[in-house]
Amino acid sequence: MNKYLGNKAALALFLLPALILYSVILIYPVLQGVFRSFYEWDGLSTATFIGLDNYKELFGDPLLLTSLKNGALFALVLVVFQIGLGTVLALVCANPRTRGRRLLKTAYFIPVVLSVTVVCQLWIAIYDPTNGLINRLFEMLGLSYRQNWLSSPTESIIAIAFVNAWQFMGYQFALLYAGVKAVPEDYFEAATIDGCGKWRAHWHVTLPLMRETYKFCFTIAITSGIGAFVQMLIMTNGGPGTTNYTMTFMIYRYAFMESNYGYACAVSVLLVLISLAATMIINRVFDREQTA
Amino acid sequence: MTLKKLQPLGRFILQIPLWLYLIVSIYPLIWMISYSLKNNDEIFVTNPFGLPTHFRFENYVNAWTQFNIPRYFLNSFVVSLISTVFILILALMFAFAVARMRWRFRSAARTYMIVGMFMPLQVIMIPLAILVRDFHLTNTYGALIIPYIALGLPFSTMVFYGFLMGIPREIEEAACMDGASIYRLFLRIILPLALPAIATVTIFQFLNNWNEFTLAYILISDENMKTLPLGLLFFQGSYSTDWGAMGAVMTIASLPMVLVYLLLSEQVERAMTVGSAVKG
Repeated sequence: MNKYLGNKAALALFLLPALILYSVILIYPVLQGVFRSFYEWDGLSTATFIGLDNYKELFGDPLLLTSLKNGALFALVLVVFQIGLGTVLALVCANPRTRGRRLLKTAYFIPVVLSVTVVCQLWIAIYDPTNGLINRLFEMLGLSYRQNWLSSPTESIIAIAFVNAWQFMGYQFALLYAGVKAVPEDYFEAATIDGCGKWRAHWHVTLPLMRETYKFCFTIAITSGIGAFVQMLIMTNGGPGTTNYTMTFMIYRYAFMESNYGYACAVSVLLVLISLAATMIINRVFDREQTA
Repeated sequence: MTLKKLQPLGRFILQIPLWLYLIVSIYPLIWMISYSLKNNDEIFVTNPFGLPTHFRFENYVNAWTQFNIPRYFLNSFVVSLISTVFILILALMFAFAVARMRWRFRSAARTYMIVGMFMPLQVIMIPLAILVRDFHLTNTYGALIIPYIALGLPFSTMVFYGFLMGIPREIEEAACMDGASIYRLFLRIILPLALPAIATVTIFQFLNNWNEFTLAYILISDENMKTLPLGLLFFQGSYSTDWGAMGAVMTIASLPMVLVYLLLSEQVERAMTVGSAVKG
């Protein structure tokens, strides 16, 4: 058996294609990215080693502060909207008396399978100051609350984050709904029989048992907030000015518009470190609640 | 009124948020489809919210003939199909070797593959763009297909690994006893058994590759090589002049994936959210 399942030629045939491709296209660029972050490099000529200079420059870069702030704001919108509202919807939907569950789930999930380009352009139309859906709606209701949604610095980042939150709501909802369903119903019933109100029972019984689901949902929402890019690129091109910049936008600009590859690599390394730190903190927070 | 009579009403009120959000989720799409069938006058002035009174299918004819839509469809299809097929083959072979065969570094190989799952695209974006340039792949199908395969491997391998670990060990013993070669075991026994996992990975990867934007944006500039998400982007300029045609373009582009989802909704939801089980 050992000889049969240790066939060297078969092993090489099964392993090597995936290993080679994965190493060359994924692992090598990761290492190369870290390595190049210590160089001054335009992508063509020979790079010069400059130690930590890129990082020193990065911490003085005003764009970094804007990007971090926008990333945090983006993540916050995703957490509040997708996880906050998503949890309420999942709890109500999981109630055995709710009708039309399949229809609701399907309707929530449809935007997930759309192309991000379609979604962004649709929302450009919705946010359009004169003919867009939202301003027309206000007009119809007789309100004079017309906004130029995508051209004010702070509102636009929230408006853009909302587009992402809207598109992937169905995804988080599906996870949360599966999480609620995985909690044995007896637990919840026992709590309500003991005189606990429904929402209190959910708060003290259902939600704590969904720890693993929340760990994953928070990780997805926060890391995609920190790494956000495509929506800004399509909807406002990072503007007005540089007010809608995020870290990925910085990488894109420094590398592909200014050919400052070394510096862009430093930004990408910092982005990965921040994402990893966020993931670790989320894990720590949810594990601590388990022991408490 | 007694409390009992009030209960159904209370239940109904409690469910209102669900139906309100259904409108929030779906109405923008209905609005898009309905303006794709109107002309500018109807969209802007006479009938901005409601369903079209006169279906202007000429918007669809214009969209299909004036823009490069058929070409974008072809490109997206070729890229998504080829990369998905290769992901399936490479990931299943790798997972089989790690989950079922006996050799020294199998757990190291598995860990090495998992690392890739936690690498955000942003960190490999720049070196990858340079790699593609140095291999002279810029503006070819290969520029997208090869990275898509590599990026799809860690996740797909883990899905297959989890699945293959659940198959009883006696299968190999029986195959060995019967004198089947290891290749025969893989093709005739493991492959058919893995079909449910293959379906999950196929749906997940095809959808992901079909909708992938960032890499395509960086690696493709040739108009004839653009995939759908990229091609649609450049209608932005013509937006304000002809919303109807724009809506038609976006509706055409969205239709295939929405239909696939409506036909296979349970499977698609499972495939898209299987990541929580793999990463968690």
